[in-house]
Amino acid sequence: MSENQSYTIRVWRQDDAQAAGKFVDYDVKDVSPDASFLEMLDLVNEDLTRDGGEPIAFDYDCREGICGSCGCVIDGVAHGPLPGTTTCQLYMRNFPPGATITVEPWRASAFPVIKDLVVDRSSMDRIIMAGGYISVSAGSAPDANNIPVPKPEADLAFEAAECIGCGACVAACKNASASLFTGAKIEHLARLPQGQAERARRAQRMVETAEAEGFGACSNEGECEAVCPKEIPTRVIQRMNRDYIRAYLKMI
Amino acid sequence: MSQIVSFVTSSIGRKLVMAITGLLMIGFLVTHMSANLLVIFDPEGYNAYSHALISNPLIYIAEFGLIALFVGHFVSGFAVTLRNRRARPIAYGENNGAGHTSRKTLASTSMIISGLVMLVFVPLHILSFKFGTWYEAAGDPHVRDLHRLVMEEFQSPLFVMWYLGALTFLAAHAWHGFGSAFESMGVSHRTWIRGSGQALTAILWVGFCAVPVYVYFIAGGGS
Ligand code: HEM
Ligand code: FES
Repeated sequence: MSENQSYTIRVWRQDDAQAAGKFVDYDVKDVSPDASFLEMLDLVNEDLTRDGGEPIAFDYDCREGICGSCGCVIDGVAHGPLPGTTTCQLYMRNFPPGATITVEPWRASAFPVIKDLVVDRSSMDRIIMAGGYISVSAGSAPDANNIPVPKPEADLAFEAAECIGCGACVAACKNASASLFTGAKIEHLARLPQGQAERARRAQRMVETAEAEGFGACSNEGECEAVCPKEIPTRVIQRMNRDYIRAYLKMI
Repeated sequence: MSQIVSFVTSSIGRKLVMAITGLLMIGFLVTHMSANLLVIFDPEGYNAYSHALISNPLIYIAEFGLIALFVGHFVSGFAVTLRNRRARPIAYGENNGAGHTSRKTLASTSMIISGLVMLVFVPLHILSFKFGTWYEAAGDPHVRDLHRLVMEEFQSPLFVMWYLGALTFLAAHAWHGFGSAFESMGVSHRTWIRGSGQALTAILWVGFCAVPVYVYFIAGGGS
């Protein structure tokens, strides 16, 4: 059992979308190495509340890496230094004792800051609303294997379906592009028989909605894949490009 | 028609334009670099090759094509870059590469800078050589002695340094560009595609740099 440690955190504080934000330093003591990053922020907030200050606003829900609510840029990397993890699943033992840790919100014009580390990610919901579903009512869940899908295809669909919509891909991209997110949401349907009928239209509408929301283009650097807590591969972006280009070719 | 416009101005459409034009330009650079090596190995052959090119009327079509590739590429490049900058108006206080599987490099983050260097370099390069002094070849007054011009231009150390510098930016651009272009066209990322692009880029860089280096240090004798 290693001992509890102290840290200094430099946190972005911002009152609302219009306000100019700034970094503020806080010392936090007696942090267990087994505390999660969010539990460390809880400790800071307890101190702040006790002293009559305004607690740091941050998003979370499940705290077990499955809901996609949490997320901030920690020391310049979305969800912090560990690959394949959400912020809630990042533990303080991953930081050297006494470290100064910089914490800031996802930064993108499509993600306006609501307060401190909380950003408005409804732009991603609108991408889904543009076509990330099957538009006929398919009834209740069919029996398993009613529609035979080859196992390798099912696995690829599932790999893309693991996306929890946290927005780290956008945060990590130098162009604030939502390509990995949009690609994943297109791919999990494009791999399955139910997704075929609307495939071209879906790619077209979702990509164009992402653009209208103000996300950038893909520069193929793959920072998104490297920070993705579900490690969704950039292959979904290349497949999205193909579906999108094909959608236009079909119209000629 | 309106569909063509909305495709070419979409982000994926613009990247497709950049990918196709960029790869075709890299293809042109392969032939350009190979022919340049004649400066070192066969001066007369070099003049004969350039004569064969400029005396063929089809050259105008080829030149027009190259200009179209160049313009189409950088117009899309500017449009894409501007939109990308607008998507992240406030910079991070601290911004580090994620490492892990990321393919981010100095080259990939500076595409617009290396591109801008090309925008300056290519017109100047054409002025220096295509529109440079016209020497007549000793054997045949109708043949241009381009070899002599090359030998003269690269006597200046500053000119040589500018070329080596610009060629390095070009290599940085193609280092990321080649692999990126395939991904923009929808070809799944494969390490061997990226790797072949980088090998090709290294060959281009060495081959292009060989001429100024050879002329200045070996053939020229600092006359
Ligand atoms: C000899 C000239 C050039 C060659 C061979 C070349 C080649 C390429 C290639 C193959 C790509 C990859 C396209 C893709 O990612 O899909 C690219 C990207 C790019 N090129 Fe060029 N290029 C040249 C000149 C220029 C010029 C003059 C500019 C103008 C400013 C420029 C700006 C860019 C930019 C900004 C990108 C990155 C786009 C992105 O990643 O989002 N390039 N180039
Ligand atoms: S709080 Fe649900 S993924 Fe982190």
